[in-house]
Amino acid sequence: MPKVGTYRANSVIYFQGDQGDRVFVLQRGKVSLNYSDIETGKPIREIIQTGEFFGVKSSLGHYPREENAVVLEDANVLTFTVPEFEAFSMSNTRIIIKMLKVFSNQLRHIHKQVENLMENPSAVNAEMGLFKTGEYYLRNRMYSQARYVLSRYLTYYPTGKMAESAGRFLETAEASLSRYGDGKGPAPLAGSPAAAQSAPPANFSVDSESPDESPQNASAGKASEGASLSDLAKDYYNAVSLFSQEKYQDAFKALKVIAEAGDESEYVAKAQFDMGRCLFALGQWDLSIKHFTGIVQSAPKHPDMADILFIMGQSWDKKGDKVKAKAFYSKVLSMPGDEDSSARIKAKKALNALAGA
Amino acid sequence: MADLAGFGRFARTYQPGEIVFAEYEPGDSFYLIQAGRVRITKIVGDIEKNIDILSAPEIFGEMAILEGAPRSATAIALETVKVLEFNRANFEILMIGNPQIALRLLKVFTKRIYDQKRRFMILTLDDPQAKIADVFLMLDETQGSTNPGEVSGDRREFKVTVDDVAHWAGMNPAEVQTLLGHFVKQRRIELFVDHMVVKNINDFIRFVNSKRKK
Repeated sequence: MPKVGTYRANSVIYFQGDQGDRVFVLQRGKVSLNYSDIETGKPIREIIQTGEFFGVKSSLGHYPREENAVVLEDANVLTFTVPEFEAFSMSNTRIIIKMLKVFSNQLRHIHKQVENLMENPSAVNAEMGLFKTGEYYLRNRMYSQARYVLSRYLTYYPTGKMAESAGRFLETAEASLSRYGDGKGPAPLAGSPAAAQSAPPANFSVDSESPDESPQNASAGKASEGASLSDLAKDYYNAVSLFSQEKYQDAFKALKVIAEAGDESEYVAKAQFDMGRCLFALGQWDLSIKHFTGIVQSAPKHPDMADILFIMGQSWDKKGDKVKAKAFYSKVLSMPGDEDSSARIKAKKALNALAGA
Repeated sequence: MADLAGFGRFARTYQPGEIVFAEYEPGDSFYLIQAGRVRITKIVGDIEKNIDILSAPEIFGEMAILEGAPRSATAIALETVKVLEFNRANFEILMIGNPQIALRLLKVFTKRIYDQKRRFMILTLDDPQAKIADVFLMLDETQGSTNPGEVSGDRREFKVTVDDVAHWAGMNPAEVQTLLGHFVKQRRIELFVDHMVVKNINDFIRFVNSKRKK
């Protein structure tokens, strides 16, 4: 049970640096938390309101008190041990939520202060960091991880300075994944561990800070891979980026150009699929169904067939035709392939939802 | 376990090897593990370092509470992993019905605030040599609480690399390498392939205190 303590004016409940395992609530009187601002060194006095908790962070986090708790006027203070506080807060979620808000604001504040001091030019910026992470996974034949990271790069930085390399690496990752599987196959990049032959140095290295140089080096080294990201691929990733920015009209237009003019079947297929996603996102259920029906008829082996059938089901669902929706969802489940593919999981959920409705 | 029925719409499943989020990726979600283990890694130089392996009911990605901050590490499913995914906007919904989770998140925030404050103390030192010394003091404070058995005498061993120290000190690795060299010459530090030894931690405490602005 929490105890009530009585403190005289000018006494100290705890000192900065004390190891504390008690949480306090001020019931009556006046208490001030005194400490110096970590940024300016200025002394700060924070007056505790009656009913307010103090000493929470250092007790829960098991670290030394960060302030002196000084009694200004005779005070009654309720004292909890950490287990008592935990038990009490369990039945008073509101209190924890309030503290969570206070703490998350403090965390944001201190994080900003730290950021302001980190004017370190060598700190990798997020864009290069993300690209290098993708490159690392590709070099180590972790193709699915490389695929994830590089496609995120292209989503966030479609016109970034590594976009071309990222697109090329992404293609390599996808090709290697389908041809060899994760962890297998020949060295995908110069500098990969156990590379068969020593490749000309630094071709694909991102350490060379001059981006103008590398494409030429690259084409000299590995012309067969297609030295630069094809224009079509670039257009495609730009369109995908528009989609992720929810600019569905613009994305649709860009994808249409690719689907109609393209001769690289891979991107044509991707573009056709994404056009349907745009129509669906725009709420054009009929057009979406019509578009996907076209794909199902002309390309029954489309790599995204499960997703296509799922979105068709969703479109019927949105139109209010539960029977047709169910038929398409069931079709997704009857497709051969990965038991846990996202389309299957979504279809299963959608069927359950329809059953429950 | 908390009462999580009704949170199905926040549920996500990741296959073994699948990335939940990548280091440097902007992120606005954080995760509560319900089943399976998640590997937290960072690529340092040419090595993917395991930072942590987490399992139910731990929380990760909580720094997403900071808007627009890039992820500081990569989270990869080690096996089939089930998580609940939340963001700044909707985490309260979960917390209201689940005080255990709220309390756990509160403790995570508590620790993060302390870590950040400690980091700030390092960064506000003007003397670069003192910054490096203070990184070791910080590591000693956090290691000390986890395995006090190793604290014997003034000698301390740290499993860190030059890049780690540079990261904490907010300095570039080349400069840190040079300054560590000075410490080695003064026989205050020994460098090994996979660890560093501070010969007298109290000497570092005095050194840092003398450089700290009052």
